[in-house]
Amino acid sequence: MLKLRNVKKKYKDFELDCSMEVRPGMITGFVGKNGAGKTTTLKAALGLIRPDGGEVELFGKPAAVLGKAGRTRLGVVLADSGFCGYLTIRDLLPSLERMYPKFDRAAFLEKCNRFHLSDNKKIKDFSTGMRQKLHVLFALSHDARLLILDEPTAGMDVLGRDEILDMFREYMEEKEDRAMLVSSHIAGDLESLCDDIYMINDGHIIFHEETDALLGDYALLKMTREQYQKLDKSHVLRFREENYGYSCLTDQKAFYMDNYPDVTVENNGIDTLITMMIRGERV
Amino acid sequence: MKIIINHSSMQPIYEQIAGQMKAQILKGEIKEDTMLPSVRMLAKEQRISALTVKKAYDTLEAEGFITTVHGKGSFVAPTNRQMRLEERRKEVEAAFELAIRKGKSCGMSKEELTDVFQMILEEM
Repeated sequence: MLKLRNVKKKYKDFELDCSMEVRPGMITGFVGKNGAGKTTTLKAALGLIRPDGGEVELFGKPAAVLGKAGRTRLGVVLADSGFCGYLTIRDLLPSLERMYPKFDRAAFLEKCNRFHLSDNKKIKDFSTGMRQKLHVLFALSHDARLLILDEPTAGMDVLGRDEILDMFREYMEEKEDRAMLVSSHIAGDLESLCDDIYMINDGHIIFHEETDALLGDYALLKMTREQYQKLDKSHVLRFREENYGYSCLTDQKAFYMDNYPDVTVENNGIDTLITMMIRGERV
Repeated sequence: MKIIINHSSMQPIYEQIAGQMKAQILKGEIKEDTMLPSVRMLAKEQRISALTVKKAYDTLEAEGFITTVHGKGSFVAPTNRQMRLEERRKEVEAAFELAIRKGKSCGMSKEELTDVFQMILEEM
């Protein structure tokens, strides 16, 4: 659905060089520190910035030939995308209908109602969270084949997040060949929604794994100095010195559980993964 | 069909799903030919990755518990009596293990436990 092959972009203090893929039927997650290159990557995928090298392919064709019709099959929420603040939702409807032939007005208004977004209020008077919701709801209302969402649940409380995530899941259930690329800082959202996760740091993809493996095979090992010295480190990806000894990130939880019953094994989540991959040292 | 996932467990999620479905099928709680929920639907209900559900379904198919018809869905395959009996035997073992553990925890010796077992067996 979306393929980035060695996409390069050079800025004064920053250089992007990344490859990633979003397949039909999949929800792909995207994590990284602020400034790591997430938004740059998304913008390159959408053709909002021109890469210095590499290829971007959307729906099987080079992104450059996408055209207007192709673009209506994309649902996009970026941090700074916005509707004109002086309009109300009702004011927007005619233009949205004209721009997006598959726009479902009734479904969109029903969703706005569900999230208590008044259709008669000027958008500039919405709270940040409500404006965010509006963007997301619109992206879900025109039968987009690929959704590209930059932190769609940022600033939302846990109940609102839950509802939005459920809407994403329902959206994917409706048609089998839809796909989503979601960047987020909220580990719980990614762990319960995404099928695979890419991690970017300093403009490079440093990690790509299926969520299933991440939650099932990866773990954090905690041990004393003595235990660390005796440990077979062939499956340790990163380690960190701690006040109690050492912590290690492994992708072979079972190996350590079987061979080192005295070592504490903790289930791993995306937050620990990020911390260890970026702050931990290689063995 | 009720699946309860424990995210704090050391057992991988796909194993939990496959294990619970297997047990329910063998106990007859899910009848032969029942259509299972789609991968996306179960992923939505359980709030997990669709790939995890797919892995569970693939495991069940490889072990002969379900069959997938492309374009239609996954269905419970007929189980044979042997598998069902084996499952019941495992339940008996587990019940024994529980009773013995309880006995030991209140200080009963091996001889005492064996005596109790014999006594009950003779009475039945």
